[in-house]
Amino acid sequence: MKISTKGRYGLRALVDMAANAEGKPISLTSVAKRQNISLNYLEQVFGTLRKAGIVISTKGSSGGYLLKYEAKDISVRQILEALEGAFSIVDLNPMEMQDPLQQAIQTLLWDEIDEKVNTLLETRTLEQLVDEYKQTKDQGNQMFYI
Amino acid sequence: MKISTKGKYALEIIVDLAMHSDEEHLESLKNIAARRALSEKYLERIIKALKDAKLVRSVRGAYGGYCLAKSADKMTVTEVLNAVEGELAPVACLTQETDCGIDCDTCPTRDTWGQMWKQILSVTDSVTIADIVKEIT
Repeated sequence: MKISTKGRYGLRALVDMAANAEGKPISLTSVAKRQNISLNYLEQVFGTLRKAGIVISTKGSSGGYLLKYEAKDISVRQILEALEGAFSIVDLNPMEMQDPLQQAIQTLLWDEIDEKVNTLLETRTLEQLVDEYKQTKDQGNQMFYI
Repeated sequence: MKISTKGKYALEIIVDLAMHSDEEHLESLKNIAARRALSEKYLERIIKALKDAKLVRSVRGAYGGYCLAKSADKMTVTEVLNAVEGELAPVACLTQETDCGIDCDTCPTRDTWGQMWKQILSVTDSVTIADIVKEIT
């Protein structure tokens, strides 16, 4: 049970972009370099994020990508749903009839896990991730100078 | 990110065993397979993983069969799923070294994945096999 490559690298790249943006468009080349992700792959990922209405792209020599809304108004759930679909711990086949044993497992476990994880992803915003990222980077820099 | 079919079946088999066997009354592979609508061959593979994890006990012979290796109210869902799925972490880098291109200390997302894992475990650690049996009956 794993988050896909697209979800992992996509979220990481988006946090990097938002942390470095300061209102100006960010080139994918710089994100690719800082995060060590291939440019080609990032172009695909940001294409998906643009279609989902999370980022906008600007053309021109200083063109690049910008967040469409403020980072505090974008939840991690929105981002992951755009990159890999809604979170669900098991695949449900709507045609399949569940017997009482399977229903009990569904109610006690799978529904509970989906609920808890989705609540977490819903309440975590891109802004929180950006703030945490900036803090860890600052700590890293301070340690470098000691 | 999903629990695999194998994980789902393992849980169903354990709950089935909890309902239909005990130390004195072992259950046959054939009966479990019939109730769970699984092939005996596939069932055998899952049971072997559960035996290796010391969750299921088997006795050979004419009166042989299977039962749980410990009490259902002491067996958590995490234990059962770990036996066939490994760790329930949403990303591999939480449990092993991976080559993702950056240092974990500066990763912008690792903490989020860690919290996600915690939420999953908060459910699977707290629900026992006995809880599921109770929910059915």
